[in-house]
Amino acid sequence: MAHAPETAHHDEGSHAAHGEALTAHGGTGHGEHSGSVGHDYTTTGLNHRKMLMWVFLGSDCLFFGSLIATYMVYRGQSLQGPYPVDIIDIPITTISTFVLLCSSFAMVRALAATNENNQTAIKVWLLATAVLGAIFIGFQVYEFNLFKEEGLTLGQNLFGATFFTLTGFHGAHVTLGIIWLLALFVISFKGRLHPGTALDVEICGLYWHFVDIVWIVIFTLLYLVGGFDAGPAVPGH
Amino acid sequence: MGLLPRKRATGSDPRGAGPPEPTPTSPEMRPQDPERSAPRRYKHHRLLVFGALAALFLLTVACSQGFQSTWDPKGPVAEKQLQLFNVLLWTMVAVFVLVEGALLYIVIRYRRRPGQPRPPQIHGHTALEVTWTIIPTALILGLGIWSVFTLFELDQPPTDQGEILEVTVTGHQWYFEFEYPDADGNGKRISTANDLKIPVDRPVSFILESDDVLHSFWVPKLGGKVDVVPTRQNTLWLMADSDLIDQPLPATYYGQCAELCGVAHAQMRFRVTVLSEEDYQAWVRDYSPPAAITPRAQRGQTLFSIHCSLCHTVNGPEVNTVAQARLDQFLTGEENAAVPGPNLTDLRTRLTLGAGITDLTIENLRQWIKNPETIKPGNLMYKNALLYDEGGNANLTDEEIDLLIEYLLNLR
Amino acid sequence: MAAITEVLPRPSSATAGIWSWITTVDHKRIGVLYGATALIFMLLSGIEAGLIRMQLAVPDSDILGPERYNQMFTMHATVMIFMVIMPMGVAFFNFVVPLAIGARDVAFPRLNALSYWIFLFGSILMHFSFVVNQVPDAGWFSYANLTEQPFSQNAGLDFWAIGLLILGTSSVAGGLNFVVTIINLRAPGMSLMRMPVFVWMTLLTSILLILAMPVITVGLIELVMDRNFGTHFFIPSEGGDPILWQHLFWVFGHPEVYILILPPMGIVSEILPTFSKKPLFGYPFVIFSGIVIAIMGWAVWSHHMFTVGLGPIANSVFTITTMLIAVPTGVKIFNWLGTMWKGSIELTTPMLYALGFIFLFIIGGLSGVSHAVSPSDFQQQDTYYVVAHLHYVLFGGSIMGIFAGIYYWWPKLTGKLLNETLGKINFWLIFIGMNVTFFPMHFVGMNGMPRRIYTYSSEFGWGDLNLMASAGYLVLFVGFLVFLYNILQNRNARRVSHDPWDAPGVEWTIASPPPAYNFAEVPTIRGRDHYWIVKDEAREAGNPITEPEAAVDPRTIHMPSPSYWPLITAIGVGLIGGGLLSHYGVSFLGGAIAFIGVIGWSNEPPAAEEH
Repeated sequence: MAHAPETAHHDEGSHAAHGEALTAHGGTGHGEHSGSVGHDYTTTGLNHRKMLMWVFLGSDCLFFGSLIATYMVYRGQSLQGPYPVDIIDIPITTISTFVLLCSSFAMVRALAATNENNQTAIKVWLLATAVLGAIFIGFQVYEFNLFKEEGLTLGQNLFGATFFTLTGFHGAHVTLGIIWLLALFVISFKGRLHPGTALDVEICGLYWHFVDIVWIVIFTLLYLVGGFDAGPAVPGH
Repeated sequence: MGLLPRKRATGSDPRGAGPPEPTPTSPEMRPQDPERSAPRRYKHHRLLVFGALAALFLLTVACSQGFQSTWDPKGPVAEKQLQLFNVLLWTMVAVFVLVEGALLYIVIRYRRRPGQPRPPQIHGHTALEVTWTIIPTALILGLGIWSVFTLFELDQPPTDQGEILEVTVTGHQWYFEFEYPDADGNGKRISTANDLKIPVDRPVSFILESDDVLHSFWVPKLGGKVDVVPTRQNTLWLMADSDLIDQPLPATYYGQCAELCGVAHAQMRFRVTVLSEEDYQAWVRDYSPPAAITPRAQRGQTLFSIHCSLCHTVNGPEVNTVAQARLDQFLTGEENAAVPGPNLTDLRTRLTLGAGITDLTIENLRQWIKNPETIKPGNLMYKNALLYDEGGNANLTDEEIDLLIEYLLNLR
Repeated sequence: MAAITEVLPRPSSATAGIWSWITTVDHKRIGVLYGATALIFMLLSGIEAGLIRMQLAVPDSDILGPERYNQMFTMHATVMIFMVIMPMGVAFFNFVVPLAIGARDVAFPRLNALSYWIFLFGSILMHFSFVVNQVPDAGWFSYANLTEQPFSQNAGLDFWAIGLLILGTSSVAGGLNFVVTIINLRAPGMSLMRMPVFVWMTLLTSILLILAMPVITVGLIELVMDRNFGTHFFIPSEGGDPILWQHLFWVFGHPEVYILILPPMGIVSEILPTFSKKPLFGYPFVIFSGIVIAIMGWAVWSHHMFTVGLGPIANSVFTITTMLIAVPTGVKIFNWLGTMWKGSIELTTPMLYALGFIFLFIIGGLSGVSHAVSPSDFQQQDTYYVVAHLHYVLFGGSIMGIFAGIYYWWPKLTGKLLNETLGKINFWLIFIGMNVTFFPMHFVGMNGMPRRIYTYSSEFGWGDLNLMASAGYLVLFVGFLVFLYNILQNRNARRVSHDPWDAPGVEWTIASPPPAYNFAEVPTIRGRDHYWIVKDEAREAGNPITEPEAAVDPRTIHMPSPSYWPLITAIGVGLIGGGLLSHYGVSFLGGAIAFIGVIGWSNEPPAAEEH
């Protein structure tokens, strides 16, 4: 988590600049829009929205954990092919994984640019993150189509069902992240991204990095570990 | 006592305790405020009478031994499980009396009195906390370890109690099929349904399989249930113990599916008939495809092969390929597809029809063939056999039904 | 601001009228909406229970028929759990928690409104199954593969699964909101170890919600895909394993049990000190035992599956963990007794309900121990003994606790006491009715009656006890009607002081009903029993407190303005679910509406420009 050391700094920034609506009398209930609590006081000093994102990611862990568990339970249980060993192409997915990792780096740069109030860099790095994410999705679409041509569908076997469900929901998460990044990108043209609103970028970054990390786990388990599975005779290692 | 083990409660019945009723005792009450306590005392009085009546009612009703009562074990498995439950029950009763007693005592003893000053502001007591953490933990670990021992003890059938009989139980919507891969020790295979026959004093090892959905195989008087799960082969062993059976053999016990399995789940029952070793062997010997039959029965046979044979086997144990073909058709879910139907080879030796829901009599069998929906709503025979019209009636004359019955009941 | 914000004018800040409720983001009003909705569903589900009891009252009864009966017990349980007890808990979270921690609202007021609307639309969607007469019928845990082709042919289970998915979204959103609120919005001085027990239990429940809901979400998604998109997650003939559904369900399902019981435990822990005039005994131990329960709740799920055939080793482990969870539960009960010990106990209606909770929950807990022991459970699993147990913990526990809470906080909500005489009649009818209904089920279960059977023969000897249970239901139902009457006649009641119970909680320092902004000044919390400390000091100083905190002009306090966007977003979410059940085009429309809702939401300033 490359951005972690910068966290404290951002928080201060966002407090200072985001008093827009609620400074006077301490409405403590307004974190959700502006990221600010106009009043000086929050119990922990942490921002509401940031905490919300962290807790949500905890929830999402269990979501992906359950999907991954389903995949692991059904490893090698497919009654008919294609089996992973027949169609999983590790080199190609390694490239798309690398692309996704690069997008995390771009995300870190976008956040840094926001803190430095470098408006050009903000736009460049946000767009870069989104584009790299889109390339990853492109790989996924390509892979899904290829698998479909080779006979792997949702209903073909348990491998198809678990594979498409897990990677599909991950892809949906990435897509949502891309939309979010593009929304930030649009907003940046209105000058609304600056050190005072760096939290908006940071929270998006938290989400983005999380989705990235989940992919690392999926890549490891579905490709590096499970990519050589064949039919029911092969027991899990 | 006949076939049905009906037994009334005895004095030593473990439920003699009955439900300890929550009846606050009036001597504890010290009315300080006549205005407020008078109606309350009246209320307690009513509660006391009500509680006593309820307890009396529960005791008399609850003590009646039903056909599926777990209080009345007839085999070592059910007996061990009941012993464990009884220990738990008495522990629970003791804890109940202590804790609820303390609750009622405190509520009555420390009721607010007018003008009472603020009570002492006690915030806690660490030693007490430690005590009431450690004592229950010790109690529970003790019980827990004992139950783990029981669990392992009951896991495998005893090898020193006579030859183990193996039976494969297959759950179907909505009946149990029983297959004896080696019924007589000489490799004789038997397929039957709904009426399980077992020899007394021999452990029976069941393998539980399902062709369709989850079921649960349960004979309360012989032992606890085990689920019947597609994709799994669960195991269970039971034994009927002649020391616990207080009637001349054959003795019949009731079983029932205990896992929701669809519309007719409530009607998925069966009987277990405990036979002496000789009677059991005789039953096995008699189980065979039909030999020579009467001319009337032959006409029944023709009707049977037209209307019934798609789903029912009558000539001995199931043939695997036939059974599989029926299952495959059934799983398509199409209307009028074949379904796995109970094997009828030994129908005449059975006590019930419709999966243990009504006695096997000529009259009931006639009604069953005529309109099964009136006996077992939701059954697949009515749903899938082309024989039945929209109103649920069979397109057969009374004469034809009688011919069918003659055929079925003369099968050997 | 983005153009879209201007398309829709800000809702007026009026405080009356139906639009003020539809656009409200005030936690108190959202709490009322949750509570009122849950009460309606309680009545519905109670009627379903009545049909069940009617069918079972006598042997060989044929009133409902098997299909309808299966639908009734499925919907009764699903509605009671997901649309009555859970939202009732959330109603209390909403109304009480911000007041009890000295906050002006929850951390995310609009997200809070969204949770409610999604909950409402999800519930309505599931009940729409009655309209098309394709009602869920596989029990509240809908074990696979009865839920799959060809065994379940109508759309009933789709309504069930998609309805629950939507309700789950609402629960997670609510859980997130309350975790952040409780961690981040406590008034100065309200340290974690000064938090009221109810707030603690809310925190634990919310954490359980956000961690448990995703697990069932995955299970439900897989079920929906099996039923609609050709996968075979739980279809044995294609290699799927129906037991995986049971694991996914119960990994969620057991924490869910604590989601249902921890809030009422918190409510009782508030009420007992108030009416004993003593602080809670062993506060840290009550909190700690709650935490232990919340953690151990994750390690016991397979006790629902003792008869599945997991083998003696798994069964042993889950036997021991399940039995051990009785220890922290016992600690709570002992501490409640300790709280009342040497107290000055006033038997008001809320106190009666709290005592009823303890009394009945002990019974439920003890019968729980008997089927924690797996060999003994082999006989009890799936019988009426289990039905008796679960109703002692969920009715005797959760519902009694909820009634206690309603009677306790009602004067804070309305400024008027519910009628105490009616309240006591209400309590005794429900207490007696509950025992008459459910106690016999222990015996009928041990006598071998499986659950979920729509009929039984008279020869089994279950008739008398079933008749008794059905008679008890009538008493229960009358008790519930008395409760409804008590609520409806309350508008004529006399106003009472802001602190009618002489309670210790922060929420009692302000006027009843509380002003929109709750606290004119964010209070500084003095201790665990804040208001008792404040009142004592005032009394010693010679001017006892008789008035609530003085009101201020609400315009001087910025509160979040009402908003349409939560409602619009929730409509979108509801349509997505509805589309999965009808036409995918509807789902796309719903997605578009939800998207517009989110855009509008994120561009909406938190408060209307006034001045």
